[in-house]
Amino acid sequence: MTGREDAVLTLSEVHKSYRAPGLFGTAVIPALRGVSFELVRGEVAGLLGLNGAGKTTIMKLATGLLFPGSGSISVFGMPPSDMRAKKRVGYLPELPYFYPSSTAAESLRYYAGLSGLGGAELDRRVSEVIEKVGLSPHARKKASEFSKGMMQRLGIAQAVVHDPDLLILDEPVSGLDPLAIHDIRVLISELNGSGKTVFLSSHSISELEKLSGRVFIMVQGALVRTVERREWESSSGGLEGIFVNTVKGGGPGGA
Amino acid sequence: MSHLLTALKVAGHSFAENYRSRFFALFLVFAGVLIYSSLLAGVMAVDEEARVITDFGLALMELITLAYALMASASAITREMETKTIYLVLSRPVSRPAYLAGRAAALYAVLASMLAVMALIHLSLLWVRGLAPAPMYLKAVAFIWCKLAVITSAALFISLFSTSAVSTVVIAAILWTLGHFTAEARFLASRSTGAAAVLLSTASLVIPDLQLFNARDLASSVPAPAGPAFLAAYLLLWLVVPYLFSLLLFRKKEF
Repeated sequence: MTGREDAVLTLSEVHKSYRAPGLFGTAVIPALRGVSFELVRGEVAGLLGLNGAGKTTIMKLATGLLFPGSGSISVFGMPPSDMRAKKRVGYLPELPYFYPSSTAAESLRYYAGLSGLGGAELDRRVSEVIEKVGLSPHARKKASEFSKGMMQRLGIAQAVVHDPDLLILDEPVSGLDPLAIHDIRVLISELNGSGKTVFLSSHSISELEKLSGRVFIMVQGALVRTVERREWESSSGGLEGIFVNTVKGGGPGGA
Repeated sequence: MSHLLTALKVAGHSFAENYRSRFFALFLVFAGVLIYSSLLAGVMAVDEEARVITDFGLALMELITLAYALMASASAITREMETKTIYLVLSRPVSRPAYLAGRAAALYAVLASMLAVMALIHLSLLWVRGLAPAPMYLKAVAFIWCKLAVITSAALFISLFSTSAVSTVVIAAILWTLGHFTAEARFLASRSTGAAAVLLSTASLVIPDLQLFNARDLASSVPAPAGPAFLAAYLLLWLVVPYLFSLLLFRKKEF
């Protein structure tokens, strides 16, 4: 990796394995195999891969929820566990879950507070993001009463409430109805328009195609191809064709 | 943001969650059992009614809060891991020591408030029956809290390596029981030789001496086995040491 000045997220030769204890010893399951890439300020980059390709692992490594086996990760030039880096990151996990007895507003206030907001600024940001994600009529509802779509909107709200510079969104439109997908797509575009870097994973090729400037294709824990927007726009099969050919190319080293 | 402030925010939210989820049901059970048992006590203990109601009430308070302490501490962190709500907390600028301290502090505060409300109900009952509480009443309630705080710290630590909440509760309950026989273990160790002496000495060191926080024993022992400074230091030791061991396990835990 070159370590550009405007680098937001840098992964350099990152390896990660999971341990699965069994009856006759512990099995080591490789999740990432020497992944390297760099995100620069203001871009929207997507992660594309089949189930188990390592997309969520990369996102958890970038947010300090997992630790790499080897290699290095930096967020704004700092380790992901550095509090200064974390303050600048907003994370939406896949299928976010909230404290069932807290209302949407209470949850957001809590997360905004943990991100360092307080006083009038906290109140203003909470009101703003509730409005932005379309949850104003449901702000006083408990999370236990929320539908999957409302949970996802609340998930996006908690990720942006502290106005982070880097948004890491794991399957942001998973299982949503078309209207919710549209709203979230517009929101992501707006956030990117205001200078935020967005890093998202999705099974939906069309979503990544619409939102991303670059897409990283993961196969069995390896980053096998980086595709620029102009490539899929000039390709007859689009991003889907490139993805299918890459995956069928035989995994790491085969594409 | 300082770690202390973060810990306080985590504690405040965690306290509210406890309060909303299981708090009042236990109060109602306690109040019902207490009122019923006091009526029985009035019939059965003609001349000793005040003593029986006091002892019975304190024992019930201890058992009910113990049950709550074990269940709540066994699931305080593991439930956050299972529901993935911990992702949204630890991906923010929340250090792991602050998170652990906040969760523990919330449990101590919940137990204190449970005991305070139960004591109020209990004292009201004594007052209605025209009976005076024992002089050591408040001290006894405070000592119950000390015992519960110690076992809560231990249970939080156990929950980080235990395979399930049930096994945490069982191990912590065994620790609680053994903690009332630490003095006997020391006595037997002084009378034993070889492996038995080593085993008993070790046990008396790694198991908290909960009998030190038995108000009635302290009141009846002349001279008192431990002064207030020693008790405070002992309590602090048994809160801090399990916390530090918990931190060792939690520091590199992956989610």
